Amino acid sequence: MAVNKKALTDREKELAKAFEETKEMLRKCEHQVGMVMDLNKCIGCQLCSMACKTLWTSKEGREYMWWNKVNTMPGKGSPKDWEKMGGGYKVKFGGKVMEPVRGKHPTRKEFGDMWDYNYNDVFQNEAGKVHLQARNQVDGSEPDWAMNWDEDQGAGKYPNSFYFYLPRICNHCAYPACLDACPRNAIYKRDEDGVVLIDQDRCKGYRFCLEACPYKVIYFNFVTEKSMKCIFCYPRLDEKVANACARQCTARVRWVGYVDKPDSIIYKLTKVWKVALPLHSEFGTNPNVFYVPPLAPHRLTPDGKIDTSKPRIPRGYLRYLFGPEVDSALATMEKELAKVRNGGRSELMDILKAKDWHGMFGEFTKDPALMERKPPKGAKFTRPMP
Amino acid sequence: MEKIECKKVSISTRQLLDCDNGVWRGGKHVIETAATPLANQPSPYIKGTYDENKIGAVKKIAIKSVHNGKDIAVFLEWESPTPNLKIKDINIFPDGVALLFPFKNIDKTPINEMGTQDYPTNAWYWRPDFDEKPKNQVSHGLATSLYTEKSSLVSNSKWKDGKWRVVMARPLKASRPGERTVDLAPGKSIGIGIGVWEGANGERGGVKAFSKEWRALVLEA
Ligand code: SF4
Ligand code: SF4
Repeated sequence: MAVNKKALTDREKELAKAFEETKEMLRKCEHQVGMVMDLNKCIGCQLCSMACKTLWTSKEGREYMWWNKVNTMPGKGSPKDWEKMGGGYKVKFGGKVMEPVRGKHPTRKEFGDMWDYNYNDVFQNEAGKVHLQARNQVDGSEPDWAMNWDEDQGAGKYPNSFYFYLPRICNHCAYPACLDACPRNAIYKRDEDGVVLIDQDRCKGYRFCLEACPYKVIYFNFVTEKSMKCIFCYPRLDEKVANACARQCTARVRWVGYVDKPDSIIYKLTKVWKVALPLHSEFGTNPNVFYVPPLAPHRLTPDGKIDTSKPRIPRGYLRYLFGPEVDSALATMEKELAKVRNGGRSELMDILKAKDWHGMFGEFTKDPALMERKPPKGAKFTRPMP
Repeated sequence: MEKIECKKVSISTRQLLDCDNGVWRGGKHVIETAATPLANQPSPYIKGTYDENKIGAVKKIAIKSVHNGKDIAVFLEWESPTPNLKIKDINIFPDGVALLFPFKNIDKTPINEMGTQDYPTNAWYWRPDFDEKPKNQVSHGLATSLYTEKSSLVSNSKWKDGKWRVVMARPLKASRPGERTVDLAPGKSIGIGIGVWEGANGERGGVKAFSKEWRALVLEA
């Protein structure tokens, strides 16, 4: 995989082979869980973000983190302009060669820092003299970015302006760039479900993973000086409870299940109906989070009539996000939608409507109130020491 | 093998910990440092995307060591145009320096791999944000280093005029439960290596400069 610019000694070759074998082992898993999110239904309420925050990121240096975030698209997202920060792989020769791409570190302010307010100043001064102001914790500057700062800005011109929401978590990639980057073998995929975890005991906060992850979903904990990210609620999965973001979702946007089991809805939406697509698949990491692309309402002519000549969301933009497959995905959805409109039935539309809420979570339907809350299981295997 | 003498002095450890103490003037040994080769980076990402020529901003480091029969002190000095004191942001890395020692047979302990499973190494790791309490670390080869629970190391450091000066001190014999470390003794010698990180160059982990070979640290009886 690595590009060797000079001849290696035998010992170096031996080492390189050992490293590659170790990485291969860390990347392997028996099954893979995944998530599908329907962008036609997301209302940007951030209940998923709050569920995650309450459960995982409310203290000990995680306060500024959003392991789940919902960005408005088109938009710069968080961290700001993450799509331009590099990382991931250049996939060559049909996947035979994966060349890592150098990435850039996001900054705390690009993610959106924690804010302090000048409550004391306001309280201790005469009324009207000092107004309430937020300040970034890192340098006292005025905040100019945050998790969904460009909320509802979108693009296009009235009456044909548009935006949609894009909820983001770690993609628990089949080929995680973060894992390959870590020189401490601290990142691994869980054997039983492929969840990608950062072992907090092995992480030394070097932040190569933050550079390499093309989705920029890893955060740095300034208190523990270790890298952290979405853990796909693995302690809940261990007790057959679905992820907090999925259960809490107002709009039945998220399905959870095994990507590789043909009876799962994830499998049906991704492999059978092919309407759920990974985000920026050109990054080469093979995500296990998939999106049903947004159809959006029709355009309007200046005199207010429905204009079907072109889609409201430029197709080029959706192709940029979800690849050329977005065309057939949208065509399938339109076809199935038409069936229902004409009084027929459609398995796909039944799935997407998600009348059966429990049915969205595959085998992870247990009520969290009934959890035994056993201490989470660690890695099943011990990572090899050269 | 190149020798670095560690003279016996009758100066208190408190005084030795002063970077400005006269004992550290003159008689320093200069060691050339070079980038850790990409072949030794246990990360396909680093191997594939980093340029070896841009790693290892620090090209040489001066070292002097003395002991007072009880404690050993090591003085290190190197050029660093701007001090990087702490992890202020995600893209900011602190400077650092580490001394490396083989636990066992020096000939069987590869310095550029920080030892092997059977021939581990011990590192004394200083960083400006460690509050002058350097970490003691054990490594069984690349990607395996771990801090021990305890560390007897203390340090003092100063950055001035584009230079770091750091003194690390410790009892000659320091191993105890929770602190696996090399024990030193007057009249004995041990292999020593150095690693140095320039924060401004994004150096951390294996992305650093190091002394490519072992030197012998010879403690005066
Ligand atoms: S999304 Fe990023 S952090 Fe998550 S598995 Fe993929 S590369 Fe790693
Ligand atoms: S809870 Fe559901 S609807 Fe609300 S923002 Fe999250 S994914 Fe969208």
